[in-house]
Amino acid sequence: MNRPAITALPTTTPPLLDVRNLVKHYPTRTFWRDSPPVKAVDGVSFSLAEGETLGLVGESGCGKSTAAKTLLRLIEPTSGEIFFAGTDIAKLSPHSFRPYRREMQIVFQDPYASLNPRMRARDIVAEPLRNFGWDNRHGGERVADLFHRVGLNPDALRKYPHEFSGGQRQRLGIARALALNPKLIVCDEPVSALDVSIQAQVINLLEDLQADLGLSYIFVAHDLAVVRHISHRVAVMYLGRIVEIGTAGAIYGDPKHPYTRALLSAVPKIGTNRRSERILLKGDLPSPANPPSGCTFRTRCQQARPECAERSPQLTDNGAQHLVSCHFA
Amino acid sequence: MTTPHPDQSPVAPILAVEDLCIAFVSRDGIVRAVDGVSWQLRPAEMLGIVGESGCGKSVTAMSVLKLLPGPPAMYSSGSIRFRGEELLTASEARMRQLRGNAISMIFQDPMTSLNPVLTIGEQIAEVLILHQNLSKRAAWNRAGEMLDLVGIPDPRQRLRDYPHQFSGGMRQRAMISLALACNPAVLIADEPTTALDVTIQAQIMELLARLRREMGTAIVLITHDLGVVAECCDRVVVMYAGNKVEEADVSALFSRPCHPYTRGLLAAMPGLDVAADAGHRRLAEIPGMLPSLKQAAVGCRFAPRCAAAQERCHGTIPELAPVAREAPDHLAACFRAGEAYRGELA
Repeated sequence: MNRPAITALPTTTPPLLDVRNLVKHYPTRTFWRDSPPVKAVDGVSFSLAEGETLGLVGESGCGKSTAAKTLLRLIEPTSGEIFFAGTDIAKLSPHSFRPYRREMQIVFQDPYASLNPRMRARDIVAEPLRNFGWDNRHGGERVADLFHRVGLNPDALRKYPHEFSGGQRQRLGIARALALNPKLIVCDEPVSALDVSIQAQVINLLEDLQADLGLSYIFVAHDLAVVRHISHRVAVMYLGRIVEIGTAGAIYGDPKHPYTRALLSAVPKIGTNRRSERILLKGDLPSPANPPSGCTFRTRCQQARPECAERSPQLTDNGAQHLVSCHFA
Repeated sequence: MTTPHPDQSPVAPILAVEDLCIAFVSRDGIVRAVDGVSWQLRPAEMLGIVGESGCGKSVTAMSVLKLLPGPPAMYSSGSIRFRGEELLTASEARMRQLRGNAISMIFQDPMTSLNPVLTIGEQIAEVLILHQNLSKRAAWNRAGEMLDLVGIPDPRQRLRDYPHQFSGGMRQRAMISLALACNPAVLIADEPTTALDVTIQAQIMELLARLRREMGTAIVLITHDLGVVAECCDRVVVMYAGNKVEEADVSALFSRPCHPYTRGLLAAMPGLDVAADAGHRRLAEIPGMLPSLKQAAVGCRFAPRCAAAQERCHGTIPELAPVAREAPDHLAACFRAGEAYRGELA
């Protein structure tokens, strides 16, 4: 299957999603004193075109899942703007935001934890339809349709979640997300809990659905090869910020940020002996409550110089929509 | 496959598992989790055991130290020999002498396998006091050296920390120092990096490789990640539905995989090194899912999902055999492995 490569955003039509300076801080307090907030997402900006997939990668705790959930306001943003088809949905009241919910859906990592164990599969998929006023007859047809669409047997309609395998449960989660014909689906680690052979089935399904329905995906994952495979563009996050964003080809073929390079070199590869080239990062992720001054990556960076501690680098375009946040890229 | 007697062979295996069968008794029947699996571990070797969930790889590992409670677990046949000594019939007292001392194990989730109410230092020292008769003070000093060895900064201070004060990667390091405290001959690592990020995974795998070089520990690495196996192991055993389906040297397995399951797994993995201008490749799926292990196999367990399956595959169980005369160490349990080896199988 060949997908058109989306390199530059069309200038005439506004992007489906335009996120500007999204921030999510969690206040923390110890006994009687306020301590500095945990900066889970700290000024993230990106845009997403219709029919495009943006991969969000980074280590655990980098804020990729929080950023994804904040987009849907499953977590309320602290500040920032989220333009969905031209409207800033971050500022809307819950009542006026509700119609937008049907346009944007989510598929979660753990398909078992995100399905109600006491509901039958057909009711799980029908629930969003009922919420938005579908009657039972049309709803039933739609559910049968969706089951066919995601490759589940009609006899699965009456089953409970525990009767499905991991891959089938994820298909069920995808069917539920598709029910209201959304434009955007946020996939939060959708294949991380699945085995390789099942993972391939779910990834192929997501790609087929995108080709047929013109969906846009925000694809959050820590598996760099999976993100490489499914994404048109990729954003690499570190401590709540995007450190590099560009087309998948550019990020993987010509990574500019030292963190992206270290991340890519850490992935075990089959067939090539690259052990010598590996960049081993020292230590762990610093605490997002107390990030290092200047460039937040400098504490683990091999190219860090004194000025990295003083000035915080900005995401700057090096050409061809490949943005890097490093003084020396 | 016959196991040469430890005294006769030039490279005597330190650990030999032979025709191991483990079943779990449940209300709805007997589940054959491991069905006649054999492998050998030579000194200072790293052996990878790969397969997907439910293939029996962890059960095999747990059985070496007899960590499976029976019932429900039932060792129906086979043998596990450590330096020639049979472990399946060994007494519990003997097993306690071996565990953590001659054979150690590290688990996937370091948080649940460390005791949350004891400091890291106390946990490492406990092993040393128990197995090596060290005094408290000597054990504490040695524990500090162990933390230093696995690369934890400021080790003397960190001995007083509790597991929750460590990050995920540091906990796994602490687990490794605990497992290696008595300088074991064999280390069984059950998905040691699955819960960790790639950058931390790289650190841990580097550490295991270094410790193996310096201390000569033989390692059984159990994982579902073929990439990790490709980079670290000497030999690989591929398991599917309780059976060993293929075994080979790491380079042979990845350059010439012969069992359709191994080939399917490799094709299903998305690659990292795709050229930017290359067309989009659709991932190869392995259709269907794992068979139920409650029924005894009548044919090849993989046949229902196999694109190369023939009539005989459904009725006869293929024996594990060398894939070609020139590759006596490359074993596969498939009637068509020879064709795959010669490149005649699509």
